[in-house]
Amino acid sequence: MSFLNTLRTALRGITMNKLRAALTALGIIIGVASVITTLALGNGARNAVEEKFRHLGSDEIQISSKQTIEDGGLVPFGEILSYEDGLLMPGEVELIDRTELSVQGEGKVRHGRQVLDMPIVGLTADALLDAAEQGQVQPVAWPEGEPLHLEAFIDHGRVFTTEEVLIQADVCVLGYQTADDLFEGDEPVGEVIRVNRERCLVIGVIAELETVDPEQRNRSRVNEALYMPISTAIMNLYDEEPSVSIVAHVEDESRMAEAKSQVAAYLRQRHNIEKDSEGEYEDDFSLSTKKDILGAQQEAAQTFSFLLVALAIVSLTVGGIGIMNVMLVSVTERTREIGVRMAVGARQRDIVMQFMLETTLLSAASGLLGIAVGVLIIPLTAILNQGTPVLDPLSIPISFLVALLTGSIFGLYPAIRAASFDPVRALRYE
Amino acid sequence: MKAKRSSNHNVIETYDLTKVYSMGETEVHALQGVDVRVEMGEFIALMGPSGSGKSTLMHLLGCLDTPTAGTYVLEGQDVSALSNDERARMRNKHIGFVFQTFNLLSRISALENVALPLLYRREAEEALQRANIALSRVGLDERTTHRPAELSGGERQRVAIARALAINPALILADEPTGNLDSATGTTIMHLLRSLNEEGRTVVLVTHDAQVADYAHRKLQMCDGRMV
Repeated sequence: MSFLNTLRTALRGITMNKLRAALTALGIIIGVASVITTLALGNGARNAVEEKFRHLGSDEIQISSKQTIEDGGLVPFGEILSYEDGLLMPGEVELIDRTELSVQGEGKVRHGRQVLDMPIVGLTADALLDAAEQGQVQPVAWPEGEPLHLEAFIDHGRVFTTEEVLIQADVCVLGYQTADDLFEGDEPVGEVIRVNRERCLVIGVIAELETVDPEQRNRSRVNEALYMPISTAIMNLYDEEPSVSIVAHVEDESRMAEAKSQVAAYLRQRHNIEKDSEGEYEDDFSLSTKKDILGAQQEAAQTFSFLLVALAIVSLTVGGIGIMNVMLVSVTERTREIGVRMAVGARQRDIVMQFMLETTLLSAASGLLGIAVGVLIIPLTAILNQGTPVLDPLSIPISFLVALLTGSIFGLYPAIRAASFDPVRALRYE
Repeated sequence: MKAKRSSNHNVIETYDLTKVYSMGETEVHALQGVDVRVEMGEFIALMGPSGSGKSTLMHLLGCLDTPTAGTYVLEGQDVSALSNDERARMRNKHIGFVFQTFNLLSRISALENVALPLLYRREAEEALQRANIALSRVGLDERTTHRPAELSGGERQRVAIARALAINPALILADEPTGNLDSATGTTIMHLLRSLNEEGRTVVLVTHDAQVADYAHRKLQMCDGRMV
């Protein structure tokens, strides 16, 4: 029988019992849809992690204080990272070039009768420059692809210098919106404002900024901030010394591991951390590099992939068994038809072809439906908050092929069974 | 469509045809050495009570089964020991079956049922045309698109006969063709078979009904797996 005629016969076989065909297809549809969706979720999670640490340069070591939970709140695990820890590091640690330090707090800012409660960021001079270069924010309506430079971030005036950080100069730089809120159109640069009652000279205004990621623009208030030298911020905002975030730059990227152990040794010495009874250091700080974070992410992704493969195998096997079961019933029901076909000259391979084509068509249709369902529910999975799920284009052909393969494998036995019928008995079958 | 009408050669020759069924411990000797010759253009009635072996013989003659021993020559070719697929090819080429229960496929039209054997020959282009001719030969021009359920019993049997005719067979093998029909309709069907025979077609009729057998030129009586 020609392929086209076999195809028509197979199609008739499927449409003969539509409800049964739909139920049979369900297993494969669910299997394929879940593969597509979980792959997209995995993609989203990976993108989210990569996005989160995108600003972390490959030559940087991020150093933060360890915290622990006590009385229901977070408290430092040991000694906090101090301003001095960070300031002295480049001089004491051979492989560290420079450090960027920052603290974040809240404060009351007053000019005339205007009083605002707002975030206050204490930074080293380099850190402000780096913040501009990190690429999380950009001046409003910045042309895409245009390289960013520090000047573009300054509306007018200037930013503070390293010298001003070292001498605790009472200077500050205002965010665009903050400048507007405090001065209502008057020129802020050269004016003195009060930050937690301490006098502070406004030396510059940051350009109007927006986040590079359009989705975050509504939530973030990047233009409401006050930046001051970290030394001044620590003096003015805190009763006791705050924990400082340190980013250490390594001179030679190929010696990151070595630099990490040097930093650890330096901090252990400063924090008086000795080996415990088991010969381990109980550090009160943690060091992470881009490589560490992405490595951990990759490991997680691999575990995730294994789970996914297991899920796919289970659901497609269940789907396949469903197909086999239904096809076996169908073959039995159609014994008489098989007998008639054999009597008028169908060879065994014609019968095999007919039933194989039927399962293959059914699984192909299920595969396509599964893909459609998967693609449609991907946006709904965004509520799982694993980052924005992203459809993996490769997952479509792969899951389709797997669906086809499942149908073919599980359809083979019923088809061979049908072809092995004895025509005499098949014709007499009631 | 005219039947081949060359010299009066034998369509069927069997020599000592034997069929033994093993049913667990016991063996059933369904055929015990049957010799039959059927000449081209003959109309034969194969008669006998149930259990006489006439169904077994019909299955062997129709290449639906293989003999345990003996030789069966169909259209000059020894088909006693052919493989499944080779027998399928012989059925497809030479044998038109007409069954008591019609054995039409219920989901397809009369025309498609008639074309079915030709589709297994990969002659799809001609199949529908030849099926149409066969249906008009049995007087069903107007019913080609009907499905079997929409046809009367007599019409269904005529579709089955058209299906047998469509392949231009060497042999029409009719197994109790009137068994499921009332006597008037049965008579119509027997008239149709007789007129096909008069056009030169070889017909082997299996029946236990003496009245039906009277249409044949020659009656073969079977009993206990032998010709009597």
